[in-house]
Amino acid sequence: MTQYTQTFTLLKANLKRDWLKMTIWLIVLVGMFVAVAAKFKSIYGTTKQVSAIAQTLKSQAMVSLFGPLTTNHLNTAIIFAVEMMVFWGIFIVIFNFSLSVGITRGQEESGLTEMVLGGHPVGRLAPLAAACLELVIANSVFVIATGAGMMAANMPESDENGNWLFAITLGAVGLSFGLISLIFAQLVADSHNVTIYNYAFFGITYLVRMMTDVSNPDYTWLSPFGWIEKADIYTKNNWLPVILLLGLGIIGFAVAVLLNGNRDIDSGIIQVRGGKRTSRFLRGSGTLLFWNQKTSSLFWIIGMAVLGASYGSVFNSISKIANDSPVVRQVLGQNGMRHLEQNQILSFVSILGVIFSVLAVVGGAMVTSHLYTEERQGYLQIISTKPQSRSKLLAAYMAYGFVLSVIILFAALIATMEAGNSVLRQPLAFKYFWQIFIAMLPILALFTGILVALIGFVPKWRAAVWVALGGSFVISYFGRLIDLPAWAMKLSPFYWFRKVPLEHIDVVPVTWMTGIALVMLVLGFVGYNRRDIES
Amino acid sequence: MDDEIILETKNLKKSFGKFQALRNVNLKLHKGEVLGFIGPNGAGKSTTIRVILGLIKATGGSAAVFGKDVWKDSVAVHKNLSYVPGDVYLWPNLTGGQTIDLLLHMSGQKHTTKTDDLIKEFKLDTSKKNRTYSKGNRQKVALIAAFSTAVSLYIFDEPTSGLDPLNEVIFQHHIAELKKNGKSILLSSHILSEVEKMCDTIAIIREGNVIETGSLESMQHLTRNTVAVRTKEPLDELQKIDGVYQLKFSDSARTTAEFSADSDQIGNIMTLLSAKIILQLKTTPPTLEDLFLRYYQSADEQKGGE
Repeated sequence: MTQYTQTFTLLKANLKRDWLKMTIWLIVLVGMFVAVAAKFKSIYGTTKQVSAIAQTLKSQAMVSLFGPLTTNHLNTAIIFAVEMMVFWGIFIVIFNFSLSVGITRGQEESGLTEMVLGGHPVGRLAPLAAACLELVIANSVFVIATGAGMMAANMPESDENGNWLFAITLGAVGLSFGLISLIFAQLVADSHNVTIYNYAFFGITYLVRMMTDVSNPDYTWLSPFGWIEKADIYTKNNWLPVILLLGLGIIGFAVAVLLNGNRDIDSGIIQVRGGKRTSRFLRGSGTLLFWNQKTSSLFWIIGMAVLGASYGSVFNSISKIANDSPVVRQVLGQNGMRHLEQNQILSFVSILGVIFSVLAVVGGAMVTSHLYTEERQGYLQIISTKPQSRSKLLAAYMAYGFVLSVIILFAALIATMEAGNSVLRQPLAFKYFWQIFIAMLPILALFTGILVALIGFVPKWRAAVWVALGGSFVISYFGRLIDLPAWAMKLSPFYWFRKVPLEHIDVVPVTWMTGIALVMLVLGFVGYNRRDIES
Repeated sequence: MDDEIILETKNLKKSFGKFQALRNVNLKLHKGEVLGFIGPNGAGKSTTIRVILGLIKATGGSAAVFGKDVWKDSVAVHKNLSYVPGDVYLWPNLTGGQTIDLLLHMSGQKHTTKTDDLIKEFKLDTSKKNRTYSKGNRQKVALIAAFSTAVSLYIFDEPTSGLDPLNEVIFQHHIAELKKNGKSILLSSHILSEVEKMCDTIAIIREGNVIETGSLESMQHLTRNTVAVRTKEPLDELQKIDGVYQLKFSDSARTTAEFSADSDQIGNIMTLLSAKIILQLKTTPPTLEDLFLRYYQSADEQKGGE
């Protein structure tokens, strides 16, 4: 047990550092969850409303996004559970990843771990144990607050068992993925790579969940992320997934402990190889950025193409008309049916465009915001004394980030089209995907502009771009399902292009969005040239 | 050394919020001069250097390099200077060799045989990734790049804090070479012996104020020599004479003494000593350590008296 000496002291120190981040995440995650639950009665309170939304949720497109409906006896609470489970699962996994990377590799990179382990009577495994406990605490707080909130929200047809199972399942999936991330933190030596491994793992489990849900839901058991659907909240209230998730988490922690014993501090199990002694290629901030980012950029592009192809491969199921009665067929005729089917796919493609754009912004913005991360870590101190202007430096990061997000979006859309057309009898024309691509460009520019302005003026608040992006996504993805008022819907830039490719791109929002983006960019450059470079 | 001024700061001030990091910093560096910039940790050495490099903006006063404003004309200034920070952080995924070439290219320089010689001299394995280097090795990467860059001004911020004594000697040797070639050097340090060996001029900074500037010789009048003496006759009179401090006798006959003496009183003291017939005499010139301690002690005493 001496290996764990001082775990609680470390835990206290970590919590002191992370409490603000945790509090904000938890308030948003719990607050929105409970708020939606409390409002749900007014949206889907009547049988008529329930059966209307049930039609939508039964379509394969919705199944691929939210998971299948497992019962025909639908009510308000069941609709809530279906709509929220996968979605909130994603959020809580992201929350846990961000916590776990920060307390493991992030800490080690900053040299804190070395000081603590080397110079103080702290056990070798104490940092890992403290990380585990912090995840347990974060998820427990989530469970308690959400469970209590759900009891207070008192949604029709919800029950105590279901409310708590819902909260615990979400907490368990978060904890489980957070603990698995501890394994990756032992394998590779820096937080950047750990994050890539984390999301690669999560991406695979998500894709397996999605593909099995539309083909054969029995196979969804293959994906740990799919387990959360199997809890069947408010219908069967199955506790098995919780047990499985907690078991997986414990295995994750145990493996991490084993691996930790076999590695040195500041290194990973996967050894760092040497490299070339000279470089002709590296000539300035642009080539340096490319060199540093090329692997993760490639990861993003390939990953997003795979995501696109997975969605595309279920297009044939999605095109099936939910209300497929002989009368409808007769009325519409073969052409009419085809038209209806195509519209159905196209509106799904439109939703995919939003999802891909959000992820593309994430991929690009991560690179651009690296400018500030590197500033904080001191990497820029030598190159900012080279005869190259700050504007050039910022321009390199801005351009790389923006172009990467454009490429990511394009790759995802093209992969969707290729995979989709290989399974559809009636292929979709390229122009539809092209229109979405074009419509999303001002949005990519807008978020790039916001981020650059933040880096230029208030770099400490650059995380605000994630809030803006997350908010826009939730509004456009979720707004219709929870019946948000129109003014709130308009806050999301995606709202303005929601009907593309079924309708043409409206030039007005393109103009003002690009305008705002440009103003933000100019502001950012002015600010960046005026402010002090930190550390 | 010549009269051309390479670097000059006048009444430089810098505040971070309410904290005044620099209150009044006046520095002057001439062509071919090595200026030692010394002060304890947190005195404002790095902040001053960061202002000079145009990384942070002065709140008051002015700083010019090659006669150009360091903030407005930073790019032009950077064309002709090279900088090595105290804590060198390098991109973990690059090798040392790649980093050196990158830094050279960014200054418009090439990897020359001089670069290879420096790599050999410092014994750096350039095929290793930066993430596997120790602090000293990261410092070597930055030093190799800086020394093989041909510019007029070199700025080093506590450059040898991670180097072993052997590499420190190599470093000192290269500073001497740069000086010989008419380059100007600003070197900050809290290691006083380092500054003493290499610098022509010294500026002492304390709590954001440059409290003294001058050549090592010109500062020595302010300091006391340490004198160890053995005479034939007792030295009791030393207790009464001006300019003698910390007098200690090490025998009962009072013929062996050690004391510190004001440099301007040394003549009177010597007259007295020779009258007592000197058997053995050793005087040690003040090290910067003494100089330093004296300044800071007296300032603290003054403060204490307020």
